[in-house]
Order: sequence, then structure tokens, then C-alpha cells
Amino acid sequence: MDNIGHGGKEIVERILPKSAAIKRLSELRAAKVKELPVRLQIATEVIDIAYGFFSPLEGFMTKADVESVCDNMTLADRKTAWSIPIVFDISDDDLKKSGIKQYDEVLLTYTGNPFAIFDVTDIFSLDKKEVAMKVYGTTEDKHPGVKRTYQYQDKFLGGKITLLNPPKINEPFTRFWLTPKQMRERFQEKGWEMIINHQTRNVPHTGHEWLMKGAYLGAYGSMMVDKPRGGVLVNAIIGEKREGDYIDEAIILCQEAQGKYGYFREDIFLTTCSLWDMRYAGPREAVFHACLRTNLGCTHHMFGRDHAGVGSYYDPYDAHRIFNKLPDGSLRIKPIFNLDWWFCPVCDEVTYMGLCGHKDKKASFSGTLIRSIIQDGVKPPRRIFRPEVFDIIMECAEKYGFGSAFVNEQYLKNRQPVFTIEPLK
Amino acid sequence: MAEETYPINLWINEERLEKLQQAGLSSMCKEVLAGLKVLAVPNTAAQRDKVLKMFPMAKFDTATTKSIELLPKAVKDKIFDLVVQKKSLNIMDDFLKS
Ligand SMILES: [Zn+2]
Repeated sequence: MDNIGHGGKEIVERILPKSAAIKRLSELRAAKVKELPVRLQIATEVIDIAYGFFSPLEGFMTKADVESVCDNMTLADRKTAWSIPIVFDISDDDLKKSGIKQYDEVLLTYTGNPFAIFDVTDIFSLDKKEVAMKVYGTTEDKHPGVKRTYQYQDKFLGGKITLLNPPKINEPFTRFWLTPKQMRERFQEKGWEMIINHQTRNVPHTGHEWLMKGAYLGAYGSMMVDKPRGGVLVNAIIGEKREGDYIDEAIILCQEAQGKYGYFREDIFLTTCSLWDMRYAGPREAVFHACLRTNLGCTHHMFGRDHAGVGSYYDPYDAHRIFNKLPDGSLRIKPIFNLDWWFCPVCDEVTYMGLCGHKDKKASFSGTLIRSIIQDGVKPPRRIFRPEVFDIIMECAEKYGFGSAFVNEQYLKNRQPVFTIEPLK
Repeated sequence: MAEETYPINLWINEERLEKLQQAGLSSMCKEVLAGLKVLAVPNTAAQRDKVLKMFPMAKFDTATTKSIELLPKAVKDKIFDLVVQKKSLNIMDDFLKS
């Protein structure tokens, strides 16, 4: 597999090898370059940029990029599709205090340790309300993406990032963390020519399982069946949580269980994670997910009903329609569109809106319904929910969730961080 | 048409089913999903509002389940126990008083 990512460009990797990083750090400190501590939100995206999850981005966006993303859904080159601004914000005060100027080299630190070099080439402000309207289609701060936009400080810095100090990914996420290049190597080892991405921030029930299996069968097409030539990649989004979400540990371990317990053959199934704070931008987030998974080396991407939506801001199939509006050749990944699934008592199986003719008898099982059952500590029937997955949820609740499989205040405050930046030595 | 109720769904596993059978209440369960049983405890609009006020984490899910959701397990266990004890589904006033 080549290393060509979104936009037809080589996957970005901007990481200094350890010895070079140590040397560079001492040079920077000797030259007394400005240092700037960053918060988790920014640190996450520094990592994403440096490893090429956001290829072809090499840094935080300049004003020209942000404006073009808002107006044209492309980067400033007017060619490369991009739907969500990736920005580095700073308060007026901190900007003044730091003395950072255009073309400065800045040392970013995280949790007190050296982290990355930021070549600041642009300093700008944005009309946040306008950004919100263009990206999210609303200016209501009830929308979590809009809320995040409004919470940004008043100034923004654009420019390239170089990682000095790679993150230590903590358990239980370690084995699920593969960079885009590592992901491509893994696919090559597995002999996969077709890789279907399943986007998730949930623990799986059989509705999800059915959709993945349907996508696999559909996309496999007329490839020879002599050996597995394709597989399903569950790429779980790990990032900022909201109360009531499943805890990250349960999400990743339960997804893995589908392969471990044979609901998918292990040679056609892989679970990994990507670090990303969901913006719930519906259709625009769907386009972003397509770019992200192109960079991971996927050939297909599933988009369900109300993909990455929130509340009633988007029509359930807006996230499908947006792909018809992109110019041909904008994406190097093929969308697979899914309708709803349900349990049909007549077919006596989990089935699909596009197949089952007993719509009036259907028993839908939304995430809310499944959560309600799990919260009662009741094991759902195996046709709805795999018993091994249920057991793992209960284990995770005890081990990682302070007694709950769902995010609560205590989890937000006291959970183990997904990654840490250690001293650079 | 029957008056709208705002149910609290108690999901029934074997342990709960046994208790219901002993109380002679098992016929009150409905099968909803591949054999999964639920006991829907009805609320009036006023009772629903009191429940939501008493437990701020709870929500009335208008979108999909049309029921009061996100109540802590301990609360739902207590409601279940009251149903068994009173051998009735009309226990919400008692529950709210306690
Ligand atoms: Zn059917």
C-alpha cells in the first residue's frame, strides 16, 4: 500500500527522532524561545497533525484556510476538501504576555513537559458566530460544536507543528493506537485490499454488527474469496466526553470483543482508536470522517442515519446528501450509506429498513433504549446484544467507570488520561 | 384513545421475573424486543415532572423511547420493589412521598 492520503498527498509525519528532539530542545532553550503551555484540546490535535491523521494539514490553520473551510469546504488551495476548522486559540492577554509575533518559533508544552515546536506564521481573529453558522448551520450554543467555537479565545495562531515528544498512550488504549502509517502497514500484513471503516463512539449492539456485516458483503463484491482480501476497521473516536456517553474504555474493549468472540473472524476485523473531539457537525463531520479515514488507509466508509448529528439540527440523511455536493475526485474513499435497522419479530432477526417488509411490526432499538436496559444491569437477549459485550461493559464500569458504564462527573474528574506527555530525556 | 402515560421502563431479568411471579404480577410485563420483557410503570404528567425535578439527571426521552430515562439503578430498584410490595403498578405517588 502506498502512503498517499487525503488530497492525494503523501501522509504527513512531522516528528523528530528522539536524539534530534533532545538536541533541538536544548538549542531552543539556549535561544530562550517563547514557551506556551497547551490544554488537552490543543494537545490532542497537535498529535493528530504530527502523525498525519489530518493530512495534508501540517499545522494549525491560517486565516485563509479557516475562511476557505467555512465558505468553500476546502483548504485555501480551493481544491482539497476540508470541512472543520482546526485552530489554535489564545487569549489577547496570553498573546501579549507571551510576546509571540508572526514567524516566531514557539515551544509548546503539555502538563509541564516539552511537547512540540510551533512555527507561527499567522496571527488572526475570527467572527466566531459566522464560523459557527457556516460550519454547524446554527448559532445556538446548545449545539456542542458551536459551544466549543464560542469558548475559543479571541486570537488564533496558524502555522506548522513538529512533534518533539511523542505521547505515551495509556492502558487499555495502547494496543489500539496505530498511526496512519502503522495502520497501513497492518492492512498490508493482513493482505486487505478493501478496508471498510466503521465510525463509532458507542459500544456495539447487533444493529451495528448487522450494518458492518452488510457493508462487508456489499463492498467485497466480486473479489476472489480464496483468502480474506478485505476487512472491517472499527475506528473508535476517543476524545472529549459528555455526561451520559459510554466511557472510552468500554467502547474500545467492547468493539474489540466482536472479533475476540468470533462475531467477526479475527482475520477480517480490526479495532483501533483515533483521538478526536467530536464536533457533532452532522454532514460536515461526515466529510471530515471521510478525510480522516482516507489517511488511515481505508477504501470505504460507512455513514449511518444521522451520522455525527446532535439534537434535531440536521436531517437524518443530510450526512449522505453532502457527498453528492462534493466535486468529483474530492475524496479517495467510497461512502457506504446505511438506512435504519430494527428487530423484526416476523423475520425473527435483526434486519434492515431496506429489506424487511414488516415495518409495522418492527421493534426499533435506539441507543437510548439499549442504555436504559444496561443501566438496569439487565442482560439483553443475545440477538440484540452479545452477552460477552455486556459482560465487558459491566467489568469496565467497575474497573474504569467508578461503578458506571456511562460518563459521570466523577469519571470526568478522575479518569486515567488516554495519553500522557512525559519528560523528554 | 388511552390517556398518555409517561412510563418508567423497568427491564426484567430472571431475578426480577421471579419476584413478579411470586407476587402474581408477571402478566403485567410486555415482551418488546426479541423476548426481552419490560414492566412499564405509568406516570401522570404531574408525577413525571416531580420525578424529573427530584432526579435532575433523568430525562423524558421524547425522540425514541417515550419514557423517563437515565434514572439511577438504585432508584429503579426501589420503584420495582414498591411494585412488588404493593402488587400494583400505581405506586408513583407512594414512591414520590417516600
Ligand atoms: Zn420482517
